[in-house]
Amino acid sequence: MEPLNLFLKKLRLLVTRKRFGSELDEEMAFHRDQAEREFIDGGMTAEAAKHAAMRQFGNSTRVKEKSHEAVGFSFESVWQDLRYAARQLASNPGFTAVITLTLALSIGANSAIFSVIEGVLLKPLPYPHSEQIVRLFLSSAEYPKFPLNPFDFLDFRARNKSFESMAALTRSDVQLSGSGEPVELSGFEVTSGYFRVLGLKPQLGREFDWNAEIPGNGQQAILSNRLWRTRFDEAKDIVGRKITLNMKAYTVIGVLPPGTDHPGNDYHSLPYGESVDVWRPFEFEGNSSQRGSHYIEGIARLKNGIQPAQANAEMNAMMAQLGREHEGDTGWNVLVIPLYREIVGANQRMLWVLLGAVSMVLLIACANAANLLLARAAARQREVAVRLALGAPRRRLIRQMLTESLLISLLGGGLGALLAEGGVKVLVTLLPAGFPRAHDIHVNALVFAFTFLVAIATGVLFGLAPALQASRTDPKRGLYEGGRSTTGSARQRRLRNGLVISEVGLACVLLIGAGLMLRSFLNQLAISPGFKKDHVLTASLSLPQATYKKDADIARFYDLLMTGLNRVPGVQFAGAGSDLPWTGYDENAGGFTIEGKQPPPHQEFHARYHMATPDYFRALGTPLVRGRFFTEADDQSAPNVLIINQAMGTRYWPNENVVGKRMTFEDKPKDKDWITIVGVVGDVKDKPSSRGAEPAFWFSYRQQANPDMSVAIRSSSDPRLLVDSLRDQVKRLDPSLAVADIRLMDQVADESIATPRFSFFLVGLFAGLAIILAAIGTYGVISYSVSQRIPEFGLRLALGAPPGDVMRLVLSQAARLAITGAVVGVIVALGLARVLQSLMYNVSPTDPLTFTAVGLGVIAIAMIAC
Amino acid sequence: MAKKPDLLPGTLDMLILKTLTRAPLHGYGIALSIKRLSDDVLTVEEGSLYPALQRLLLQGWVKAEWKMTETNRRARFYTLTAAGRKQLGVELSQFEQMIAAIGRVLQDAQEA
Repeated sequence: MEPLNLFLKKLRLLVTRKRFGSELDEEMAFHRDQAEREFIDGGMTAEAAKHAAMRQFGNSTRVKEKSHEAVGFSFESVWQDLRYAARQLASNPGFTAVITLTLALSIGANSAIFSVIEGVLLKPLPYPHSEQIVRLFLSSAEYPKFPLNPFDFLDFRARNKSFESMAALTRSDVQLSGSGEPVELSGFEVTSGYFRVLGLKPQLGREFDWNAEIPGNGQQAILSNRLWRTRFDEAKDIVGRKITLNMKAYTVIGVLPPGTDHPGNDYHSLPYGESVDVWRPFEFEGNSSQRGSHYIEGIARLKNGIQPAQANAEMNAMMAQLGREHEGDTGWNVLVIPLYREIVGANQRMLWVLLGAVSMVLLIACANAANLLLARAAARQREVAVRLALGAPRRRLIRQMLTESLLISLLGGGLGALLAEGGVKVLVTLLPAGFPRAHDIHVNALVFAFTFLVAIATGVLFGLAPALQASRTDPKRGLYEGGRSTTGSARQRRLRNGLVISEVGLACVLLIGAGLMLRSFLNQLAISPGFKKDHVLTASLSLPQATYKKDADIARFYDLLMTGLNRVPGVQFAGAGSDLPWTGYDENAGGFTIEGKQPPPHQEFHARYHMATPDYFRALGTPLVRGRFFTEADDQSAPNVLIINQAMGTRYWPNENVVGKRMTFEDKPKDKDWITIVGVVGDVKDKPSSRGAEPAFWFSYRQQANPDMSVAIRSSSDPRLLVDSLRDQVKRLDPSLAVADIRLMDQVADESIATPRFSFFLVGLFAGLAIILAAIGTYGVISYSVSQRIPEFGLRLALGAPPGDVMRLVLSQAARLAITGAVVGVIVALGLARVLQSLMYNVSPTDPLTFTAVGLGVIAIAMIAC
Repeated sequence: MAKKPDLLPGTLDMLILKTLTRAPLHGYGIALSIKRLSDDVLTVEEGSLYPALQRLLLQGWVKAEWKMTETNRRARFYTLTAAGRKQLGVELSQFEQMIAAIGRVLQDAQEA
């Protein structure tokens, strides 16, 4: 028979199922009557005949079920199971709610973390064949990851055989003026071929060609789609138009498509994402034999079939050759790093750790659910026995039980998906600033599929053991004992205890993880930053070269601004410096000579290189250790002076008084080229988690002008009140200037420890959830076993046992479980601790304090739960 | 009481169809008829008979109608359809092939 016809018939029977049932009933009754009559004819009494007929006919319920199965759809029995399961769950709302909610929480947490992993780690980067894109850096023992020299880059590009295309980029923010308020825009100078490497094509116009790299030809700009929309009303004729950047005219030659993501960079970094608005050509100015300065970063696309390691080998050989050609190129290796690793590498481990933590929570929730089901299965033994006695096959019973647990877990999964939807939004706001690909994190179809699979796996995981257990019920015993005195077989008790031990153990692992992260986080909080972060307002300014042509112009502007700001009521100190603490740093500082010292072979002197105004350190609260700060007198006409940090003092002048020592940047210094150290300030690390402070020095801004400075203002009250005054002061001096990055130093400091805080917060949250679940689980098992032993306890009390003894009996059972669990947990945590090593700051991953505290704490909580 | 031999698997449908070639019968009648014709060797379990009848109905090999018996009781009578007759032919020839094959194997075993 053709399948369609069969299907339609089945469908008709499905609709008339009631009639089908009653007709079958009548038919079977007829059959029994006939048999009965035959027995009577054979000489039996009416009574005996009736019983004989019934015995002969056998299990009529089973006959009906089998007849139904013969004509029914296979999903019908599933549907039956589902309805039965739903009734079971509805008749026990407390039980259902507890399991469903704990599962929803843990599945939701898993989905939320998974959606972060999906968005950040699993989703391919938004560039065609992104696996072929690599970043290029130089590397030496002293500088493990260093930018390239422009002329080295030109040689790389000309000589390599491994790359399909290669480009370089360097951060170069610009100020856009002309129509409306001037704005500071994130920008990059890029070589030709940059967009080709990324596989991006301008939506309008074209990208830069080789011509634009020639000095003097670079007055061209490519705009982001966002800038084109918001500032230029999507003008179709934008290509060819002139716009004003840094007070100079640039011709727009292209507009990129929407959602063009910056691949992230290292040096003056901008995170990955849609964060760049203007690209300008990089002009190769200067002397091509000077290979000392490094400030551009390489990015390249591998040829088909070339592996990064092969390309790396070629580049290393090339660099060695360059080292023979140019003195400045000795001692370098080249790093070829896949772009994916560069973008997400640092966060990969943290995310996997989080997923591990959250899946442990889910395992605990599973163990909990299994325990609750086991306890309930004992209560349902009679029901199971009846069904078995009526001829239900064990397979069907197991299926029925699994349907129940799957229904619970899918309910939990559904709720969990809703929770995840909300949780992800919260998570994204909690993510540390600049977290790569944060805007790629969404709850999407893949996340839902993951949730669904997790829910199913969960249901099977926690349902299987109880289902198997229940199906093993002996119908005779089950019916007689009716679930009354089932003290539980030894196997059942072992299973239950095993579940509790693993719950406690897992919770212990999570708590230890959270404890370690907490200690690491507290350590970072407790670091004395080397400055006072409260009451400081910061902002950055960038003076366009077109207007501020001479160093004296720049110095005058900052002079006037500082004088003006210092007069504003509420301002204690106003200063400016080239680099604020903890906001990234300029690595490029070397090649100076210290009077009377020789650097060790192959290690030139080096230090961070900054400029500062007289009140800069006072505004930040960085202490003066020795000597003096800059004064207004340290200008072009005065002898050159320098302030260094303690790290530089101890590195290059150990056990000497540094003030008065001299250094120079000239190869053949005349007397006026020597710079005298006049002060030593306290150390500030590059970022709070750095091992130690790097050597650093500051020029007086009047002797070494820098157009891009960050302003720092220390206020006697709320520094936010000074924002308007700052804007006014800048506007008064130059109305065309944008005030960018207005932030409190508190915020800067806060953002710099956002990652440890984020991971501690989440792991702590999971650990809290875990310990609550484990406490519920322990309580459940103990109270169940107590309820079973009440007659025994009663007997003991009646026979004169003091109540304390009974209490001790119960507690010792709980203690055995809790202690075993804690020991298992501590052992597992010791094994896993190495994974956390790289996420820790100043904490040993086997920190004895954390381990002991958590172990005891877990045992205590388990005891209290009883 | 010695256990009666089970029906060969897969033969129940064929036996039911064959029984119905003579006249329409109700379920009890089919069971009785198979029992009698086989001299009490074959017993059709009710637990198999009714599910099998539903299956045959669904395939369209038999049709059912409620009629009165001689004793004036309502019973469901099953009638062989044309498709059922064809199916019976198919099953019979398959069965004969199988018996013949089994016979040859047994024969061979005896001679050896």
